Amino acid sequence: MMDRVLEKVVAGFSWICAMVLLGTVFCIVGYLLINGLGTINVTLIFGETDPVDALLFRKQVFDGLFPAIVGTFALVALSVSFAVPIGIAAGIYMAEYCRGVLKRVFSLFFDVLAGIPSIVVGLFGFSVAIFLHNYFSSRIYPCLLISALSLAFLVLPYLIRTTQISLENLPEDIRQTAPALGATKLQNIFYVLIPRSLSGMASGVILSIGRCAEDTAVIMLTGAVTMVGVPKSVFSNYEALPFYIYYISSQYSNKQELLSGYGAAIILLVICGLLFTVAFFVKHRLAYHALYRQ
Amino acid sequence: MDNEIKIKIDGLSFFYNEHRVLNNITAGFPEHTITAIVGPSGKGKTTFLMTLNRLWESISEARMEGRVEIRFGDRFHKIYDPSYPLSQLRRLVGMVFQVPNPLPMSIYKNVAFPLKLAGMKDKNIISGKVETALKRAFLWEEVKDRLTDNAFALSGGQQQRLCIARALTLGPEILLLDEPTSSLDANAGAVIEELMLSLKERCTLLMVSHYLDQVKRIADTTMELSDGKLLEYPNS
Repeated sequence: MMDRVLEKVVAGFSWICAMVLLGTVFCIVGYLLINGLGTINVTLIFGETDPVDALLFRKQVFDGLFPAIVGTFALVALSVSFAVPIGIAAGIYMAEYCRGVLKRVFSLFFDVLAGIPSIVVGLFGFSVAIFLHNYFSSRIYPCLLISALSLAFLVLPYLIRTTQISLENLPEDIRQTAPALGATKLQNIFYVLIPRSLSGMASGVILSIGRCAEDTAVIMLTGAVTMVGVPKSVFSNYEALPFYIYYISSQYSNKQELLSGYGAAIILLVICGLLFTVAFFVKHRLAYHALYRQ
Repeated sequence: MDNEIKIKIDGLSFFYNEHRVLNNITAGFPEHTITAIVGPSGKGKTTFLMTLNRLWESISEARMEGRVEIRFGDRFHKIYDPSYPLSQLRRLVGMVFQVPNPLPMSIYKNVAFPLKLAGMKDKNIISGKVETALKRAFLWEEVKDRLTDNAFALSGGQQQRLCIARALTLGPEILLLDEPTSSLDANAGAVIEELMLSLKERCTLLMVSHYLDQVKRIADTTMELSDGKLLEYPNS
């Protein structure tokens, strides 16, 4: 009797927890949409500049969100392309090659790295930029490249861990299929183990994309500013949506400005959704190419 | 049994950590026969099969003593000799697992997979070998029109025959089968039994089985593994 009550209580509690989470998401997104939807229009993004000119990078936009959108895309693309190869390779090493004491030591270090607050990573990136500025070239200062590298460091532990765990969770019979057919260790990793754990790795990549797109602490110390327009190179300052949202919410001078912050938040959400969708399709294409191609 | 000895085992012991699973086994297996290995669960039957293709070596904390020699061509090879190439051993000693384990790819690619691993490129040779292997595994007629379908679309029995076909692609001389019918229904199991009898002609088969009636039907020799010892089973 008690057992059955307990079963019901646990199930009910879990359901309530799920509903609270779902409700919160709906509240946040709904709140954003109610406040921000009205502000989203061509002017919010392109200001007074002709959209076609802006999209072709013929004219700079100084009174719209377009440079921040471009900056966010550039930032995510750069950081993810730095972090993904290194993170996945390190994850493969941890799961398939690293053993014994070394593995425990490395695991500890990756956990420490995962626990470092992003503001500290930002400070470190800033210090590196200053160091390079003082000792190598006075033309180096906090910029898109420094931000992207710092963000890459921020997301590396997630990538390593998700790759490692999805490989280590493969059941023994899948692990032994290819070796029993004469596969070398490397062949097994590339032909069977990686394709079988692609979805786990993809979730790590998706997590990092989200993290790179939303993080503010790192970029505000390493090169994000307002009103510089579209970045000209990886060595220049840039604008980014999260920084814009942070800046507007702390410095707005009238209601209209604050509302444009909500608009920016919606755009950031849409961008994240877009990037997730791209990651999802890339994962499926990859799985298809790795496994089904005749 | 007049057939020549194919596999010679001498003083084979096996340990997981300090737990002894196999204890000083000495045995010989004649070629072109089916040997069934019976015995209680969890007492090292699968481990014993894996000592013949060295598949246990990826398991940490496992250790083996003793000698295993297999006759390929006209002389015996010590398969644990560092100079004996592991991938060649695995190509000559095929293995089929308890639960069918096709890879998540097409039927054709599954069977061609060992050839890809061996670095074979010629498309015509590959498709010829795939067809031969599928025919030998009694599967060709059922799948010849849908070779590009996902292997998981096959029934359990068909999947197991697909795995046997995959193990046969490289023309192994020994086939290790770890309870190959235990996850299948009676009809699918009967097809596999018939298939094993037909494979005797080219291979030496070692099969772990739980079903004594199955063992009686197809095995030439039955051995019981218990308390780490491998002994000829009475009434076989």
